[in-house]
Amino acid sequence: MASEASYGGGRRFSRSVKLLLPISLFLLIISFSGASAQEVRSGWELVDGGTDSDLQTAEAINGEIWAFGDGGIMLRSLDGGSTWLGDVVTEGYNWSHSDSGYDSILIATDDGVTIILENIGDGEDNRNQDIPIFPGQFLINDVALTGSQEFVTVGGNGEIWQFDGEDWINRSVGITNDLLSISFLDGEEIGLISGEDGIILATSNGGLSWDYRDAPGELSAVDIVEIEYYSSIRAYAISEDGHILKSSREGSLAVGFVWSIVEIEREYPAGGGDWSPGGTELDHDASSLEVLSQTKIMLAGPNGYLSLSLDGGNIVSQQMIPVSNETSFNAFAMQDGFRGVAVGDGGVILRTEDAGSEELVGFEVADFGDFGQFVDYSKERLMDGLVATAKIVFFGILMGFSLGIVLSMLKTSPTTLKNVAQTNRYQLLQFLVMGTLGPLWVILKVPLSVLNIIGRYGAGSNYRAIENPIKLDKILISIKDKSAQIAASEPLNIFAIRFMGTILIVFGVYRIISNLDEISALNLDGWEHIYSPIGAPSSVFWIIFGLAIAILGGIFFSCNGDFSIRDLKVGKAEFSLNPWGIRPLNTIATAYTDIFRNTPLLVQFMFIHFGFELGRRMQDPGLLLFNFEYLYGNANFLTDIFVVYETNPESLAYGRPIGGILEDRAYISAIFALGLNSGAYQCETIRGAIAAIPSGQMEAGRSIGLNYMQSMRLVVMPQAVRICIPPLGNEMVNLVLNSSLAMIIGYAEITRQGKLIVATTFQVFWTWGMVLVSYFLITWTLALFLRYLEEKTRIPGLGISGGA
Amino acid sequence: MSEIILSVKDMEKTYVGGVHAVRGVSFEVAEGDSLAIIGSSGSGKSTVLRCINRLIEPTKGIVQLKGERINTPAAGINDVRSRIGMVFQSFELFAHLRVIDNVSLGLIHVRGMRKEEAESEARKVLERVDMLDRVDAYPGNLSGGQKQRVAIARALAMKPEVMLFDEPTSALDPELIGSVLETIQGLAEEGMTMVVVTHEIGFARDVADRVIYMDQGLVAEEGPSSIIDEPKTERMMEFLSSIND
Repeated sequence: MASEASYGGGRRFSRSVKLLLPISLFLLIISFSGASAQEVRSGWELVDGGTDSDLQTAEAINGEIWAFGDGGIMLRSLDGGSTWLGDVVTEGYNWSHSDSGYDSILIATDDGVTIILENIGDGEDNRNQDIPIFPGQFLINDVALTGSQEFVTVGGNGEIWQFDGEDWINRSVGITNDLLSISFLDGEEIGLISGEDGIILATSNGGLSWDYRDAPGELSAVDIVEIEYYSSIRAYAISEDGHILKSSREGSLAVGFVWSIVEIEREYPAGGGDWSPGGTELDHDASSLEVLSQTKIMLAGPNGYLSLSLDGGNIVSQQMIPVSNETSFNAFAMQDGFRGVAVGDGGVILRTEDAGSEELVGFEVADFGDFGQFVDYSKERLMDGLVATAKIVFFGILMGFSLGIVLSMLKTSPTTLKNVAQTNRYQLLQFLVMGTLGPLWVILKVPLSVLNIIGRYGAGSNYRAIENPIKLDKILISIKDKSAQIAASEPLNIFAIRFMGTILIVFGVYRIISNLDEISALNLDGWEHIYSPIGAPSSVFWIIFGLAIAILGGIFFSCNGDFSIRDLKVGKAEFSLNPWGIRPLNTIATAYTDIFRNTPLLVQFMFIHFGFELGRRMQDPGLLLFNFEYLYGNANFLTDIFVVYETNPESLAYGRPIGGILEDRAYISAIFALGLNSGAYQCETIRGAIAAIPSGQMEAGRSIGLNYMQSMRLVVMPQAVRICIPPLGNEMVNLVLNSSLAMIIGYAEITRQGKLIVATTFQVFWTWGMVLVSYFLITWTLALFLRYLEEKTRIPGLGISGGA
Repeated sequence: MSEIILSVKDMEKTYVGGVHAVRGVSFEVAEGDSLAIIGSSGSGKSTVLRCINRLIEPTKGIVQLKGERINTPAAGINDVRSRIGMVFQSFELFAHLRVIDNVSLGLIHVRGMRKEEAESEARKVLERVDMLDRVDAYPGNLSGGQKQRVAIARALAMKPEVMLFDEPTSALDPELIGSVLETIQGLAEEGMTMVVVTHEIGFARDVADRVIYMDQGLVAEEGPSSIIDEPKTERMMEFLSSIND
């Protein structure tokens, strides 16, 4: 009683704590996803402009940055935006439009008050405040300088006014749509205007005359709120609903003639993380655009929207900002492609020195000489490799263990030729039926059950299962009934056995003869014949098979009713041999284990994947069975093990397999190579454990009436498996380590990832060290689990416990 | 005369390798009788017993259970064995199963009983061998005598027509033998048909209705248990005196 009591609560708890450690360590590593380890800092710095009035517009020119806003606020910074001076004030005017160029800045209010600040950068306050009163009827929406004293304004109801240094001239073209934005290429005569309902106008004579240009048809009812002429080959514009438009020079056609809507592939939210597919519209409203290079653009808008695209709008990354998400950003003033400010409501001025890009999307060059950065780069690859390794190891162990059990049962099976010869007629008939119809039944059964499972999942209880057209069970039952009636359970007599032997000899010899031609067609000489199994695999198989069958037939034919030992005299030598003691199942299993244990695993990998192309052979029929039409809508976690299809209807590659065993041929091959090989070794381990169980256990099982398989399953195996947990654990750890060989067939497991990391970073010591650590974690976890299992399954009162 | 349950006619067994262990043994056991087979080591007693339930196939001869021949390939071997209970010298309890599961295993998997039904049946049998208080113990935690009583219960649970005991007390310490012999004696008194191979001469004398003395694979002497006290043959006299020393 005492020994039972000690097998209980308290100790079990401490054991689970021990187990918890490696598992939590493993989970910790798994959970290291990109975001948590990757630091994202804002590329924007909030600077104090000394005001909380709304800043509407800003300009950067000649090393100075100016910002203008409501209440006549004019701020200037001489040091790139770090400190601001508010010494110049023009009270009473709400400055909302500006343009810079020709060493000057032009500022304007909505109702047409304009000032030109001249000779920016010389430190003096030179203003031209003598511009005549704006004669237009409608409010101004944008201004553009065309010379040091000349500019063009656009406004409501299609008004275009040009100021030529002395007078205002109306350059309207007779449309009534509001015009919203104007942009000239500095130093050139060419400019663009955008406006309501997709209006785009262009000039090539400094604004004297304006022509229509075609915006894309989708935008015919949309306001194009800002347009920017960046260079002679590129212009950008944005619409109020978040379309980005791009125009390039096309052959002899100048910029502005052909506009296309930029396809937004991805939009990253602030701080990186999961992107969303974009389509053609941004997720946010944008009201301001700044073009920094042919492809680098920045966008701003209400609700804290500030974003950067480095490829002309295909990938748009929203910026993390150090101010409230409700800030409206109104304008940019960039000194060059990297440095400048963004201004917004409430006097917000954000300054950047790297175009606001965060580290995620920045131009920073990774320094793999720094261990931190190296780990940042390589850990995701190692993680992928770890998962890939874990997958083949899991399925490999599963397959190897099942195969090992089956093979070890075959190897220890006591069925001898004597038992086979003494088969009674009923069993023989049953065997023949199973042998002929059985494979057919299985071939039909497997796809039918898959279809039935899918059908039941899809159609629910109304689904009528498709039945196997071969009624194997009914045939077998009717044979049993018939044989009971005619008392056919007597064993075959000698003549029947000899007759069977004759048939087998004829069949075997026929097989040999009919396949010999193929061998001779190989044109091999002498010892070259050892390679004939590769030259003509099926012929060699049939010859060996025929030989075995013929020998079996010979043994059967020689039957005289006495199944005991024969003495054989060959010349003077005497042999005693007992052909009836041959165990056919053992022979088959031994052939299998001999082949797999006497060839290198690396070669097996290559033979199975490249030579036999097991992956391809399994993939094609597998995909046919689990094809997209059947699975669409019916896929569940079980079918996902085999194949996962892409189900995003907007994706171009509709219904492409993106996961599951069948996705990757190397994956299939790797599982089989590991499983088949490990099965051969595990078979021997389990066989040893079976041999260690006293024969009395089997006798005791048989003596209460259990049949052989029941005794194996209920009595011997449960004890044998417990015994062989330690050596089997060895085998499984070996399997994990052997999985590194899968790199040779191109499977992206952890060793291959290590190789790829070395190829990128050239950090040999760190890479292989980290690969070692990763392997250690897997195998150590496995080993601890097996120790736990051994303790857990220990039979009370038997043996000593293992592990620490 | 009561019905003959078990009959063995001209049984012979030659092992692979040529050892002629049994050279023509015949006997009959009537219902409710208990037969003791005694003899020195290597006389073929255990081989005879194992040939009866075909753990070893006899080379020649006929074994009949209730008049039906059981040593042909045609006879359902598992069915036959479930009708013959066997108790081994070294107990052979299933080490990974609790006492109750040891006893109910055959009931569930051979007799096809449900688990609860089988367990209540097993409890009844365990009560008969006085092992009800250890149903949840594992064999490793039992003493030798307790193990052998559980082994007897395991055989009894199948409701056998005949029980075979293969030296049931040889592996036990002298002080543990008593309880096992008491159990077997109790069974004999309840009218269980049994064949006991034993070295316990006293037990054979007290319990057995008939005694067979085997020597060199043959039945050397046969008769009621009184022949132990009055052996007729030289060999048996020698054997008995060597044991009594």
